Amino acid sequence: MSIAAPASPATGAATAVGGAGGAVAAAVRRTLPWLRSLAGIVAVTVTVLLLASVITFALGALSDSNPAAAALGETATQEDIDRLNHEFGLDRSLVAQYFSWVGHALTGDLGRSWFTTIPVTDSIRTALPVDLSIAALALVLAILIGGGAGIGAALSNGGVFDRVVTLVCSLLGTLPPFVIGMALIVVFAVKLQVLPAGGYVPIGQDPLEWLRFSILPGLALSLDVAASIARQLRTSLTGELRENYAIGAEMRGFGRRRVLFGHVLRNAAGPTLAVIGLAIPLIIGGAVMTEKLFGLPGVAQLALQSAERGDVPVVLGTLLVTAVVVVAASLVINVLQTLLNPVARRGDGTTVGAAS
Amino acid sequence: MTHPTTILALWRVPSARFALLVLAGVGFLALFGGALAPHDPLQQYTDRVLQGPSADHLLGTDYVGRDVLSRLMEGTRLSVVGAVEAVAIGGLLGVPAGLVSAWLGPRLEWVTLRISDTLVVLPFTVFAIAVAGTLGNGLQQAMVAIGVLISPIFYRVTRAATLGLRKVQYVEAAELMGATEWWTLRKHIWSKVLPNVAVTAAHVTGSALLVVASLAFLGLGVTPPAPTWGGMLSSDLGYLAQQPWAPVYPAVLMMATVGSLNLLADAIRDATGATASPRRRPRPSPSTSVREERPDVVPA
Repeated sequence: MSIAAPASPATGAATAVGGAGGAVAAAVRRTLPWLRSLAGIVAVTVTVLLLASVITFALGALSDSNPAAAALGETATQEDIDRLNHEFGLDRSLVAQYFSWVGHALTGDLGRSWFTTIPVTDSIRTALPVDLSIAALALVLAILIGGGAGIGAALSNGGVFDRVVTLVCSLLGTLPPFVIGMALIVVFAVKLQVLPAGGYVPIGQDPLEWLRFSILPGLALSLDVAASIARQLRTSLTGELRENYAIGAEMRGFGRRRVLFGHVLRNAAGPTLAVIGLAIPLIIGGAVMTEKLFGLPGVAQLALQSAERGDVPVVLGTLLVTAVVVVAASLVINVLQTLLNPVARRGDGTTVGAAS
Repeated sequence: MTHPTTILALWRVPSARFALLVLAGVGFLALFGGALAPHDPLQQYTDRVLQGPSADHLLGTDYVGRDVLSRLMEGTRLSVVGAVEAVAIGGLLGVPAGLVSAWLGPRLEWVTLRISDTLVVLPFTVFAIAVAGTLGNGLQQAMVAIGVLISPIFYRVTRAATLGLRKVQYVEAAELMGATEWWTLRKHIWSKVLPNVAVTAAHVTGSALLVVASLAFLGLGVTPPAPTWGGMLSSDLGYLAQQPWAPVYPAVLMMATVGSLNLLADAIRDATGATASPRRRPRPSPSTSVREERPDVVPA
């Protein structure tokens, strides 16, 4: 999600005015652009969520399955269909249905399964932590592996390590994550027999066992993202290392490592964060694959089973919740980017392209 | 791209030549693989289950005794056709939207940008599952779903390229001389935007192949008895203990195809000077020019 903050002309001169009134005015002038960019972010987020809910609802409205067919199958008579349609409120106009669906969704009620009549929210609540914990683990691993590889490649700029990282990254990009997962299963579960090939223990029950079961899915999910992090970090770091301030620091006698970690890394982290933000739908979508691969009881299994029997409310609920999770994660990334980059914090020139 | 000199320039680059040869091979398999296959890909030789390579079955047999080589050859068609179809849908939706939003200015821009933001938020697999659950599970539904989610990439690339050209002097000159918007668009803009679209299309086709394989792995899109690369990998999963090397064949074929598409994309970019977003002015210092990697890889 890219958010272009409105440009503000009044930030630079804020400190020039003396006196109490001037100080207040300066404070207002300093916070105003920040508030404006915040308002921009909120407006974009709300619109995106709204559009996501419309798309999700439209899928349900276009569907020709109905609760009677889902619950009773072939034996459903027209009477049953009408009765169940009325029970689930499907005989109302589409607009009324949409607003009641969104209204209930805001209060955490996504309706009931047509098949089992279990509330959708309950099913998702039991399944979602599986995906979230695996995705979080994958994100941490991706940042560790990708960050390490990227920094190492930038330090050995042009050397053997750099070339190996570049090669591995481009090879990883040509494989779907589930193939990497299969390779990990073959190596660690079949050949070495040190880790389980499937199954799951909730993190609240036994964190160590959880780690044993989720390290392979997490690793399978992370490598793809780690590759893009490494590639971006290497590009930004080598670019920043050629900047005057980095060369100046080096000429004053600081070692290459000190310049890199002390000066350059912070500036190179911005674009890398953007890459991580783009990777979040990738990780959440990839979690679906790893679930099937490692037999985890997550949201995707729920969605797949429901999709098979035409259980529309559950399917729509999972899509909506996934979209919300991705939007929330992107928001966090956005805030981190703003914190890291004083220019973006001031509210002018958040995008690199608009700066010139 | 259709210009013969561009093709020639591409052919002179060794990596592009390699990529074009591999892609021609894959295209040949997609067209004639089914006809040339030594066995019927659905024929089950139940007495020869899970065998290694032999003279009769060059790549061995799978868990119900089907010939792996034949399934690989026949499966190329569905895998490739699916990806190409999804990319075509994405391009048809995204490119005109990008042109229009850059050309008509801020009137449409905010809305189209938000729509593209929204489509980026939806993960491929979850969206494809939802489409399968509501509109039915089939190749067409899955490809339309992927195509719609791919379209923001085309939209953004086209829009960025067009925005850069909006204020170029020869475009302004043409407008001053009374050229219609349609004429300028066709004559000046399109020829400059096309290389960018071609680079994106090559990249995205590679990613779409991976997404199609992922969906087939989940049992979406192509229904099981028909062979696809992803479907073969999916069935190999249950027999990893007996046949740990079985996933290698489809995986290698996929790597070669996707890798070639990426090589080709880079070569087109170098040959035509296409960039992710043409800058309006030259940058003050050369060191700041290539800072951001192109975020045009499709999430699976």
